[in-house]
Amino acid sequence: MKMPKKNDINNNKKKRKDKENNKQQDQDYKLELELEKEPIQQQQHVFVLVDENAFSNHNNDQEEELEEEARVEESDSSEDEVGPRNTIGDVPLEWYKDEPHIGYDITGKKIIKLPKKDMLDSLLATADNSKNWRKIIDQLNDEEVQLAKNEIGLIQNLLRGKTPHPDVDPYAPYVDWFEWKDSIHPLSSAQEPKRRFIPSKWETKKVVKLIRAIREGRIKQDKPKEEPQLYLLWGDDSNSTEKSGHGLSYIPAPKPKVPGHEESYNPSVEYIPTQEEVDSYQLMYEEDRPKFIPKRFESLRSVPAYENALKESFERCLDLYLCPRARKKRINIDPESLKPKLPNKKDLKPYPSTCYLEYKGHMGAVMSISVEVSGQWLASGSTDGTVRVWEVETGRCLRIWDVGEAVHYVAWNPVQERKILAVALGHDVLLLNTGFGDEEEQQKVKELLHIEAAQDPDESGATSTVSWVQYDKYEGVRLRHPKAVSKVEWHFGGNYFSTVMPTGDSRAILLHQLSKKHTQTIPSKVRGLPVSSVFHPSRNTIFIATKKSIRQYDLQKKCKLVRKLEPGVREISSIAIHPAGDNVIVGSHEGKLCWFDVDLSSQPYRKLKCHKKDITDVAFHPSYPLFASCSDDCIAYVFHGKVYSDLNQNPLIVPLEKLQGHTSTNGRGVMDCTFHPRQPWLFTAGADSVIKLYCH
Amino acid sequence: MELNGDGETSSRRVQVRFKTKLQAPMKVPTTSIAIPSNLTRMGLSKIINDLIESGTSSWEPIPFDFIIDGELVRMSLEEFLLAKGISAEKILEIEYIKAVVPNKQEDPCLHDDWVSAVSGANPRFMLTGSYDGFGRLWEAGGKCTHILEGHKDAITSITVINKKEEPSNHRRKITAYKVLKGHTASVQSVVSHPSDDMVCSGSWDHTIKLWRTNDSDSEGDLASTKKRKVGTDAKEFQLEAEAVSTLAGHTQCVSSVAWPEHERIYSASWDHLIRRWDIKTGQSSWDVVCEGSSLIAAGGSDSILRIWDPRKPGTLAPVFQFTSHTSWITACKWHGNSWSHLLSASYDGKVMLWDLRTAWPVAVIKSHQDKVLCADWWKDDCLISGGADSKLCISSGISIL
Repeated sequence: MKMPKKNDINNNKKKRKDKENNKQQDQDYKLELELEKEPIQQQQHVFVLVDENAFSNHNNDQEEELEEEARVEESDSSEDEVGPRNTIGDVPLEWYKDEPHIGYDITGKKIIKLPKKDMLDSLLATADNSKNWRKIIDQLNDEEVQLAKNEIGLIQNLLRGKTPHPDVDPYAPYVDWFEWKDSIHPLSSAQEPKRRFIPSKWETKKVVKLIRAIREGRIKQDKPKEEPQLYLLWGDDSNSTEKSGHGLSYIPAPKPKVPGHEESYNPSVEYIPTQEEVDSYQLMYEEDRPKFIPKRFESLRSVPAYENALKESFERCLDLYLCPRARKKRINIDPESLKPKLPNKKDLKPYPSTCYLEYKGHMGAVMSISVEVSGQWLASGSTDGTVRVWEVETGRCLRIWDVGEAVHYVAWNPVQERKILAVALGHDVLLLNTGFGDEEEQQKVKELLHIEAAQDPDESGATSTVSWVQYDKYEGVRLRHPKAVSKVEWHFGGNYFSTVMPTGDSRAILLHQLSKKHTQTIPSKVRGLPVSSVFHPSRNTIFIATKKSIRQYDLQKKCKLVRKLEPGVREISSIAIHPAGDNVIVGSHEGKLCWFDVDLSSQPYRKLKCHKKDITDVAFHPSYPLFASCSDDCIAYVFHGKVYSDLNQNPLIVPLEKLQGHTSTNGRGVMDCTFHPRQPWLFTAGADSVIKLYCH
Repeated sequence: MELNGDGETSSRRVQVRFKTKLQAPMKVPTTSIAIPSNLTRMGLSKIINDLIESGTSSWEPIPFDFIIDGELVRMSLEEFLLAKGISAEKILEIEYIKAVVPNKQEDPCLHDDWVSAVSGANPRFMLTGSYDGFGRLWEAGGKCTHILEGHKDAITSITVINKKEEPSNHRRKITAYKVLKGHTASVQSVVSHPSDDMVCSGSWDHTIKLWRTNDSDSEGDLASTKKRKVGTDAKEFQLEAEAVSTLAGHTQCVSSVAWPEHERIYSASWDHLIRRWDIKTGQSSWDVVCEGSSLIAAGGSDSILRIWDPRKPGTLAPVFQFTSHTSWITACKWHGNSWSHLLSASYDGKVMLWDLRTAWPVAVIKSHQDKVLCADWWKDDCLISGGADSKLCISSGISIL
C-alpha cells in the first residue's frame, strides 16, 4: 500500500480526532453507520485482496474487527490532545537520518528510533495480525499508526479520484423546485427582438477602430521574431535560399579563403619555407607562385602593416561586383549506370573468336560463300570466274568449276539429299550437280537436272523471259535471264528458288520451280530497286528488300503484302531472317545494322552502328543465338542475339567479338559471311581472295 | 663430393641425391651431393654427364630430364622448389631419365597429294592414306613398297588389322579385299580392334558401325582402307560386307573413333561429346577416350589438348589441359608403352610431344610447312606425321623409357 505523505497523515490525524470527538458523543449512531457501510467495506476488502493476497481471512473476522475498532477509538480518545510527539517542526527528516533519535519530545528528551523491522519481521507480523495491513509508519514520530476504517475509505476514495469524504453522495437525486403542472407553453411568449438579428453597430465601430489601429501600426499583432545575432562567419552559405526576395534568385558571393595556420604571425616551423623553396618560387610562372609566403615574428607588435591589404580588398570588391555569378545545374549521374546491363561475354560462349583455318586458292575477290546443310562442304564463288567447293574440316579444295564469268552468288540447296549448287553469274543462273553423295542421291539429282531439249523454244508467257537450258560445260542447268542476276535464294523446301535482277523492273524478282522447270514472276509490283529476296525459314512468305524498305509477301495468297518494314537507312544492302522467322536484321550501305522484331513494329527495335563502311552481308546462325555482320572495312562483328520464346521479353543483343584479319583490296573488305550450320563457326569471304574460318 | 665451383659459390646450395632406373653405364653413385640451387635442367644434365664420364671414360654426353616428386623440372631448381613448396633443407631425391628428344629427322617420303592418314601400328611398315585415293606401304628408309588402289576419292583414315599377320604374304599387289558398305555419308574415321578381326568406323551420317573382317577366308587380309564414298561399284572379286552393328547416338559427324580395350569404343564427335560405347550392349555412357593407360586425350577445334580420366568418378572436367598449340588439333595418340607420353598434331604445322608430368611440351617438331593432318607412333621410337604439304615426315630416335 502506498504511504501517504507526512503532512497528509498529520491532517488525517487531526481530522480523525475531530471526528472522534463527535463520534464519541453519539457512538450508537456511528456504529449504525458502520454497519450500513458494511457492503462497501466488503468491496474494499475485495480490492485489497486483489492488491495483496496475504490477507485472505478478512471477511471472516469482520465482527471481531468491529469490536476492536471501537476499543481503539476509545483508547485514542483518552490520549487525545497529545499532538505530535516530535517537536522538531517542519524540517527535512534526512537531517536525522544518521542519528539514533528521530527528534525531541515536548520535554526535550530525545525520541529514540524504534528498531527497524526487517522483511521477515513484517512478514511474520502480517501473518500474525490480520490488521497489520492497516498499519503505517509515522516517520515524523517514528511510530506505527493503525488507520481506522473510514480513513482507509478516505484514502481509497482519494486514490480513485472520487470525493474524499465517504459520506458525500455525488449523485444525489435532483430536486426540481419549479412546479410544471399545467404549463405546456414557454415561460415567455414575447417575440424575439430585432436586435438579435441585425449586426450590432457598436461592435462594428469597435472592429473598424481596431482595423484602423492595426493599419496605422498602433496595435502590433505579435512581437517580431528575434533574429539570432550570431552567424557563422566562414560558413558555407551556398544553400541559403531564403534570401531570394525579389523574384531573382540570390546567389551569395563566394567566400574568401579562410586563413590558415600559415598566416599566423608566428606559424609553426614546418610552414616556413626554406630559402631554396623561396628561390624556386621565382622560377615558377607568376600564376603558379604562392600568393603568401609565411613569415615568423617575435611578437604581434613587430608585425608590420599588411602591404597588400588595400589591393586585396579592392580585388575582392572587383570580384564581387564584376564577376557575374550564375547557378549551374549539374546532374550527378554515374556514367557507368547509363550503360545498359549486358551479360558477361564468358557466359555467352561459344561464339567464333579466332581464325583457325584459311581456304586459299581463289585468284580474285570471293564474292559469295555458302555452307552445305550438313556442314561438310563450303562453296565459294569468285570474280576470277570459278566456283569452288572446299572441305570445311581440312581446307582442301575438292572441286573447281570454271564458269568463265565473275560469280555473284552461290547457294547450296537446303535439302541434304540434293547436293545442288545454285550459282548466279552475269545474266545466268547455273544449277550445278556437285557430284557429292552416294549413287542413289546422284541418280535423283541427275534426273532433277535433266531437261528435254524441245522444251525451251515454244514456251510462252512468263517463262519466255527465262529459258531453262542444259549447261554444256558441266553437268547442270542454265537459266538465261534478260538482265544481270545478283542473287539466288532457295526456299527451305529445296524446290523453289528466287532470283533477283536489280534492273529487271517489273520482273525483278522471279520465282523458279526446280521440279517443273517453271518460272513465274511475283504478281505484286515491287516498288523501288530490289536488293535482295529471302524466303521465310518456315512459312511460305518472301521478304523482298528494296533500297529503302522491306516488304513481306504471302506466296500462298497471291502475293498479298503482309507487312512492310522501314529501317530508315539510306540504302539497304543485305537482309537475314532469324531461324524462328520473327526477327530480321538488315545491313545498310552506311554501316548501320538494324534489328527488327517483326511482330513488334515496322520500326527497328535496335540500330547498331559499328561499321565504318558499307555492310556487305549479315547472317543469322541456324541454331546458336548468334548473328554476324561483315563490312568493307575488313571487319566482321559477331553478336549474341537471343530471341526469347516469351513474347513479352525483348531480344537480347550483345556485341561479342570483332573479327579482323582480312586485308582491303580495291576498297572492298569482307564480301560475305556465313555461319556453319551446326557449329558456332563463322566463315568470312574477303576481297583479298581468302576465305577464313573463325572458331570458338 | 663438390662440384667444380666456378663463381657460383655465392648462390645457395641444395643437397641432392640422384637416382635412376637406367641401365649400368648411365648409373651414378647414389651419395648425396651439394649443387647450386640456380641450376636448370641443362646444368643438372651436365652434372650427370660429368659424373658418368668420371666412371666411363668414353661417354658421349646426352641430355637428361629430371623428375622431382613426379614432376619434370622445367625451370631452375630454386624456382621449382619454391613453386612446389619443397623444403631445400632436406636431401632432395632427383630421378633422372633420358630426355625425350627426336634425334634424327629422316628424309620425308613424298606423296602426290596431301597425306591424310597414317598408321604405324605394324613395326615393319608404315601405312599412309592420301587425298589421291591411294594407300601406300612404306618401309624404313623411305621406300614405297606397295600402292593400295580401290578408292575413288580421298582417304580420310587408315588402320592396320591384325598386327600378327606376316607381311610376306602380300608381296603382290594388294587391292582392297572387301568393301564395307553401309554408311550413307562420308566415313571420317576407322579403327581396328586391338586383337580381334573387327573394324569400327565413324561417319558423317552420325553413326558408328562395327564390321567383321575375318568371316571370309579369302586371300590374306592385311589392310582395310575405308572409302570416303561408300557404295562405289564393287569389283567382282571383292567381297561386300554388312555392318555387324550400328551405334547411333551422336547428333553430328563422328570425327574420330578409338578402340583401346576389348569391348569399349570411344568416339568423338562434332557435337562436342566424347562417348564411350560398350560393344556388346550398344549402350553409350558419356565419358572419354583412352589409349595406353586409362586416360583419355582429345583435341578439338580450339587448340587445347584435353585429357580426361574416366576412372575418376563424378567429374567430367578434364584432368589436364595443354594449350601450346595455336590452331586445331588434328590428331593425338598415346605412346604404346609409356603411360605418360602422347603426341599431338595441329594445323599450325607442329607435332608436339607431351609428358603428363609437365605442362610444357617435351618436344616440338616443326618438320611440316603446312597443316599436319595425321600423326602416329611407329616402332615405339619413331614419330610419323603426314600433312598438307604431301610429305610423310619421320622423326626417329625418340627414346622413351
